[in-house]
Amino acid sequence: MQKKIINKINGLQKTIIIICCFLTIQAFAGNREINVYAWSGYLPNEVLQKFTKETGITVNLSEYDSNETMYAKLKAVEQAGYDLVIPSSYFVSRMIAQNMLHKIDKSKLPNFKNLNPLFLNRAFDTTNEYSIPYLWGTGGIVINSKYIKEKDITSWQDLWNIKYKNQLLMMSDPRDVFGVALLILGYSINDTNPQHLETAYQKLRALLPNIKIFNSDAEQTIYIDEDAIIGMGWNGDVYISQQENPALKYIYPKEGFILWIDSLVIAKNAPHLENTHKFINFLLRPDIAKLISETTAYSTANLEGMKLLPEKMRNNPVFNPNPEILKRGQVQVDISGAIPLYEKYWELLKLGA
Amino acid sequence: MHKFAKYCYSTFIYLFLYIPIAVVITLSFNNASRSMIWKGFTLRWYTELFHDTNLIIVALHSLSIGVIAATLATAIGTLAATSIFRYRFFGKQFMYGLIFVMILIPEIVMGISLLILYSLIKIPLGFWSLLLAHTTLCIPFAAITIYSRMITFDRDIFEAAKDLGATDFTIFRKIIVPLLFPAIVAGWLLSFTLSLDDVITSYFVAGPAFEVLPLRIYSMVRLGIKPEINALCTILLLATLMMVLLAQSFLRKKQ
Repeated sequence: MQKKIINKINGLQKTIIIICCFLTIQAFAGNREINVYAWSGYLPNEVLQKFTKETGITVNLSEYDSNETMYAKLKAVEQAGYDLVIPSSYFVSRMIAQNMLHKIDKSKLPNFKNLNPLFLNRAFDTTNEYSIPYLWGTGGIVINSKYIKEKDITSWQDLWNIKYKNQLLMMSDPRDVFGVALLILGYSINDTNPQHLETAYQKLRALLPNIKIFNSDAEQTIYIDEDAIIGMGWNGDVYISQQENPALKYIYPKEGFILWIDSLVIAKNAPHLENTHKFINFLLRPDIAKLISETTAYSTANLEGMKLLPEKMRNNPVFNPNPEILKRGQVQVDISGAIPLYEKYWELLKLGA
Repeated sequence: MHKFAKYCYSTFIYLFLYIPIAVVITLSFNNASRSMIWKGFTLRWYTELFHDTNLIIVALHSLSIGVIAATLATAIGTLAATSIFRYRFFGKQFMYGLIFVMILIPEIVMGISLLILYSLIKIPLGFWSLLLAHTTLCIPFAAITIYSRMITFDRDIFEAAKDLGATDFTIFRKIIVPLLFPAIVAGWLLSFTLSLDDVITSYFVAGPAFEVLPLRIYSMVRLGIKPEINALCTILLLATLMMVLLAQSFLRKKQ
């Protein structure tokens, strides 16, 4: 009788049962793992494999494409199961305020000392109790030196020159674009004063004839293919794009610029606290920080890691500006209350375009 | 003249449908990492793709979910279609209507409601939550595909079988399933592709330890389209094409 039943289970069913068993085993693999939720492309494969090889801990990596996506997912389910997340500065402050993060035990992070003090104790987490700076970059001006002389552009204000009619690329993000106008007017990029925002809006309206496109998704392609020859850009993107179109140049405007810092944080209710600290400490190791920076082409917040990078990266002002320039950078913090106002002026601006 | 216009019209329809796909395939062989201007032929993106073990793991996740969900959905769909077609019972019309409603429900509603349900009854997000969601998503499509084939059946066959002493189970096994086979294959393929490219529902119910391919591709695309994605899409396209061709030839042999 039993034999008959076994015979009845044909090949297909057997395969399914085997797959099911395999997946169940995998699902209950237990404590030798850590669940990471990171920006797309932020954690190179090589780094994860190295970590698993050294510690035996498997890294389950999920990726997101925007801070909002990550925030929504963590907010929706309290026991979401994520351990390590990598939000941008202004989301770190929001998540701290909403009690979504777990304090980081720095006594478990001997490699903390390798970090560049320039990125520590910033306004979004004044004592780095919750966040460890990971990668950073700046938002400045991109020009194509084939058409525009490098020395002609020194400030954001130069973008308003009528010479550049219908040639500009601006980010498709209200905070990034209003940041530019606020910087020219001498305000902070985190300004929430309605009158200042109104002035910034008027300032940006005057720029509209020069703007060819609002885009944050494909700026590399647009600059490389010379569909826009001047505009805003992120230094990391320009660094990559230069390899395909060497005419592209990056300028740090004299009024200041956006400095973004993405930080490692531990989610509240993280199921693998011990492993997560191990992983953070691993990421803070100079050789690993160097590897990450090399693969992602984003600048590392790890001072010792930066020193290990090949000279053409380390001494490239696009990739690693000197501290004197870096001081002009401003970090975005959470301005939840003023977001509707930003959105309102953003809509008006785009309607006028 | 009339004929010419007809050909023109259909040519345009096919161009409209297939040009975007042709662009993706072409760019996957383009020797430039960001530019969309042709810079020469290369297979670099394919080699890079095959060295990305993480992406391959995620692809395997998607395949296993797709195969299991499609199989479960087709099995349940076949049973549902058979019961609606063969038997009379209370609330039959209502049940039939419910299946249709499931097709029309926006996926986002389905995703959110499943997420709420899971957190209510404390099912952790991961393999099982995804499998359940995808099976649910596919059942109506499989059931409708199979049912629409079934209504072309001649009911007299079942009467004849019963006259000859066949039990309901024998009828199901020896008559219904073989006759339905093309529809079952079609339903399975439809479910498989639905599961393989589902972003919205997956976004809500995917857990930290089990990511699927569409979500990964989606998050990669938003930060600039890398040529590896074009290569991956080309491979996926080829794989689906092969599957459809295989199914076609298999069915033809059967007939």
